[in-house]
Amino acid sequence: MTELKKHTPLFDWHRAHGANIVEFGDYLMPVWYQSARNEHLAVVSRAGLFDTSHMAVIRVFGAAGYDLLQWCFTRNLDACVGKDGAPLTDGKCVYGAFLDEHGHAIDDSIVYKIKDGEYMVVVNAGMGGPVAKHLAEQAKARGLEVKIVDLTDQLGKIDLQGPGAIKTMAKVLQAPEAVFDKLPYFSAKGHFDPESALAGQVRLADGTPILLSRSGYTGEVGFELFVERSRTVAVWEAILSAGTEFGLIPCGLAARDSLRAGAVLPLSHQDIGHWTYFHHPWPFALPFTATGAGFSKPFLGSRALEQAAGAPYTLTFVGHDLRKVDSHDARVYLDGQEIGIVLTCVTDMAIGRHEGRIYSIASPDQPAGLAVKGLSCGFIRVGPQLAPGTTVELRDGKRSIPVVIETDVRPDRTARKALKSFL
Amino acid sequence: MYPSDLKYTKNHEYLRDLGDGTAVVGITSYAQEALGDVVFVDLPETGARFDAGAEFGTVESVKTVSEIFMPCTGQVLEVNAELEAHPEFVNEDAFGKGWMIKVKLDGPLGGDLLDAAAYARLVTEESH
Repeated sequence: MTELKKHTPLFDWHRAHGANIVEFGDYLMPVWYQSARNEHLAVVSRAGLFDTSHMAVIRVFGAAGYDLLQWCFTRNLDACVGKDGAPLTDGKCVYGAFLDEHGHAIDDSIVYKIKDGEYMVVVNAGMGGPVAKHLAEQAKARGLEVKIVDLTDQLGKIDLQGPGAIKTMAKVLQAPEAVFDKLPYFSAKGHFDPESALAGQVRLADGTPILLSRSGYTGEVGFELFVERSRTVAVWEAILSAGTEFGLIPCGLAARDSLRAGAVLPLSHQDIGHWTYFHHPWPFALPFTATGAGFSKPFLGSRALEQAAGAPYTLTFVGHDLRKVDSHDARVYLDGQEIGIVLTCVTDMAIGRHEGRIYSIASPDQPAGLAVKGLSCGFIRVGPQLAPGTTVELRDGKRSIPVVIETDVRPDRTARKALKSFL
Repeated sequence: MYPSDLKYTKNHEYLRDLGDGTAVVGITSYAQEALGDVVFVDLPETGARFDAGAEFGTVESVKTVSEIFMPCTGQVLEVNAELEAHPEFVNEDAFGKGWMIKVKLDGPLGGDLLDAAAYARLVTEESH
């Protein structure tokens, strides 16, 4: 059946380098190379390189693109940047979701404002087609003149993540100082499209134009790179060889999964999906007003969310050791009563508990002799709202593990730190 | 590739018959590779008795939690206590340092155990 599955431009590279391959969202992807554990630890303490070309890019052209996204996307484009809620300006990007009229999540996404009249929408594997269709239908229904281009399987996407990512990137870029200047968390420069006037902003040493985004999905500092599909393997190899001296290694989807859970980030269609997108650990992804009493704009799904006071709660948990339950078939119990289901349960290999506190291998204040073996973590969806510190039990038929409701998982993550502190 | 002096199960456990009525049990190199990094091994208490085919423990990897089954009927004489601190021994040396339990055999070995050549054929079929 493998013939029916899709490949990224790096598939042959992955196979040639001993990757274990799994199916994910219709694609055959590396799940790990030698060791998922080492790959997870590398991103927290050194650097890791991920093939994320299975994700899809949609371009939205036309002045009405703003109106379309303002209606379809869960962030208010006029008030979504930084703590003070500044507008989304050229070169900035923002995380949110696309909902249907029931307030259910179609997919989560990062939306980039490239310039006036041009947005870029990045969605999950296999979602380029459905989201592009959804946007086109909504544009038609609202009489908005836009051009929507689904670039599924036409680009390469590479994520370079971890504290060593910055020095690595500096080695492969032309004029790295200029590129890194004024490139805060959730901003981007350059363009993958050689025709774009922005293409000259960011080029690799060999002249390849890239769109360089200061983002990622691991909780650690780094970049997402978008390139023309035909350039993907060359770019991947150039970065990998530049980063070897900083401990950079290729990483698979297993490490990406455990890193994102430790960073309290959802996996679409597992932690968010066809249920009400409300009462979850990502309130920043909804356009709440400053008081939190309502939304600052109407949007597709907002009416359903306004009536969602009784919706179940998605909560973050952390275990007491590294043992997991099978998230496909595990239930949550509070005082012996079944209250919900497990959405994600993985092990963040870079953390451990000491005297009630969670430390990471990157924590500057970790106690001497701290032996980090990893802690299970993830998300549950339950009926009642539970306060942080509450212990619940996860049972999967084989085992039962006590876990604690928490607001955060892996401490001392680097994602938001200034780039210059890594140079 | 699979030691010829061992017996194997279809569930990817191996049994090393020590010839004195005892045997050492673990999971094969193929099993550990499919599981990925082993992070925790849950083994029984010394003295526990199991029938052939019964679950005697679990191996937890980054990917999943898998049951491990007895290749023979017998009583646990010893467990590999080193795996508590070093579960990675299962990955590094499945047929050596990664052994799991030593058992006192109860009766003859079952006829459904595979020799190395038959096990290699099974693995080839499974991985295609």
